Amino acid sequence: MDLILQLLFTGIGIGSVYALVALGFVLIFRATNVVNFAQGEFSMVAAFLMVVFAVDLEWPYWLSVLLTIGGMALLGALFNLGVYYPLRHRTYLPVIISTIGASIFLANTTLALYGPQPQVLPPVFETQGFLLGPVFLDSQYLLIIAVTAALVAFQYWFFEHTLVGKKLQATSQDKEMAALLGIPVAGMIMLTFVYSAVLGGIAGILVAPVLFVSIQMGATIALKAFAATIIGGFGDVTGAIIGGLALGIIETFGAAYVSVPYKDAFAFIVLVVFLVVRPQGLFGERVAEKA
Amino acid sequence: MSQPVLEIRDLTVRYGEIEAVRGLSFLVGTGEVVTLLGSNGAGKSTTLKAISGLVKPAGGSILLDGEPLTGLKPEAIVRLGVAHVPEGRRVFPGLTVRENIMLGASNRSGVPKRALRDEVEAMFELFPDIRRFGDALGWTLSGGQLQMVALARGLMAKPRLLLLDEPSLGLAPVIVQAVFAIIAEVRRRGTTVLLVEQNARMGLSVADRGYVLETGRLVLEGDPQALWANDDIRAAYLRGRAA
Repeated sequence: MDLILQLLFTGIGIGSVYALVALGFVLIFRATNVVNFAQGEFSMVAAFLMVVFAVDLEWPYWLSVLLTIGGMALLGALFNLGVYYPLRHRTYLPVIISTIGASIFLANTTLALYGPQPQVLPPVFETQGFLLGPVFLDSQYLLIIAVTAALVAFQYWFFEHTLVGKKLQATSQDKEMAALLGIPVAGMIMLTFVYSAVLGGIAGILVAPVLFVSIQMGATIALKAFAATIIGGFGDVTGAIIGGLALGIIETFGAAYVSVPYKDAFAFIVLVVFLVVRPQGLFGERVAEKA
Repeated sequence: MSQPVLEIRDLTVRYGEIEAVRGLSFLVGTGEVVTLLGSNGAGKSTTLKAISGLVKPAGGSILLDGEPLTGLKPEAIVRLGVAHVPEGRRVFPGLTVRENIMLGASNRSGVPKRALRDEVEAMFELFPDIRRFGDALGWTLSGGQLQMVALARGLMAKPRLLLLDEPSLGLAPVIVQAVFAIIAEVRRRGTTVLLVEQNARMGLSVADRGYVLETGRLVLEGDPQALWANDDIRAAYLRGRAA
């Protein structure tokens, strides 16, 4: 029982990271109907920015976090202008290829600048964590869970209770109609890219002290997050969160009870099962495509 | 006719090789309800899309209060006070009725959300049938209800010119009557309306003037009585219609 609780805690922690990246996937998909294959690289770039600011330059952690988030917002804006905007009137295929190109570009630029050596980012807190009954609560995992919960709450408030949130939803549901009402569609999509890049970046900042900071971390996280969105039901915000958490828990338990070397395989086994048995995911298509 | 709000001069719109609108000219005066009649493919919807900026004209000009709209984006045109309620209602399926109507005011900047909420409530006075669906999501509504929401959303723009595309399409006759009763009320309140209809009888019932289009050209114009009296019109557009 103690082990189960411990694994649950770790699973929710790592699942939170998948959920954050999955949210980025879903938000961009809803706004542009395109899967952004560079979503994982947002996490990787942010982790490297943290290494530059907090480790190489030895700036304070909080300042490094702020600068990294600012840098990610800028990257999101540039990404929108360079990768999506010129192709916005084309079908989804050129845009998807464009995001794959951007993903390769980001990974290789980082490789060229930083070399292939994995880097280490120290955790935020000095203390490793503390015991709550039989469960050891690692401070970094606690932080990951708390930040994810706060971001999910913020996002719920933003989309459900602000006019800008409603305009973003309207844009994602029918761009032409949104334009006819005077909603600045290009601005809404820009906002989506900036926010998604920041979400991915925060996931990278949070997970960097747990994993090694490497060029490959983006692809690994993105694949898991992508699997999470399929499990949750593609395009569904709740589904992305539940799917991400579920995946984190499944792979943590799989590693503990079945096989550690096959840890990464569990996510994809679950993905395949879902694609065969329930391709629409847990939360399916709630909204009909056309009114 | 009073001072024209909208002036269309020699408008031509092409979709690739096809000329959907050919050298069309007409006027809409302040406070008027003008209807464009014609069968499928006559170029009525295309004309509205050209006015609201959804399609780029190949030639001619579109003037709002004498100022050209040509080249402006839809977002900019609606901010000048031209609201387009397109064919198919296009109510946002994943937003509630209240939210849909509220977003109709997106062309007016700086209105606080509280004021918008009050405006939506006031809109329900004009559309009492949809008040009880205020918190229902768009996709759950029937065609008639969707048309009401689309109209209410269009009116939230406080338009100087309201473009209505086929408001009767696909609705049961009794619902069509209700929709046109609202259009008559909109007209009574002084909003200028350019109405596109295949249902000539309903279109002419609320209009001050009408234009008849055929394959992108203007073939006839006049007041409702004159158009109504025209045998060709009755033969072409009223056959089998019992609205």
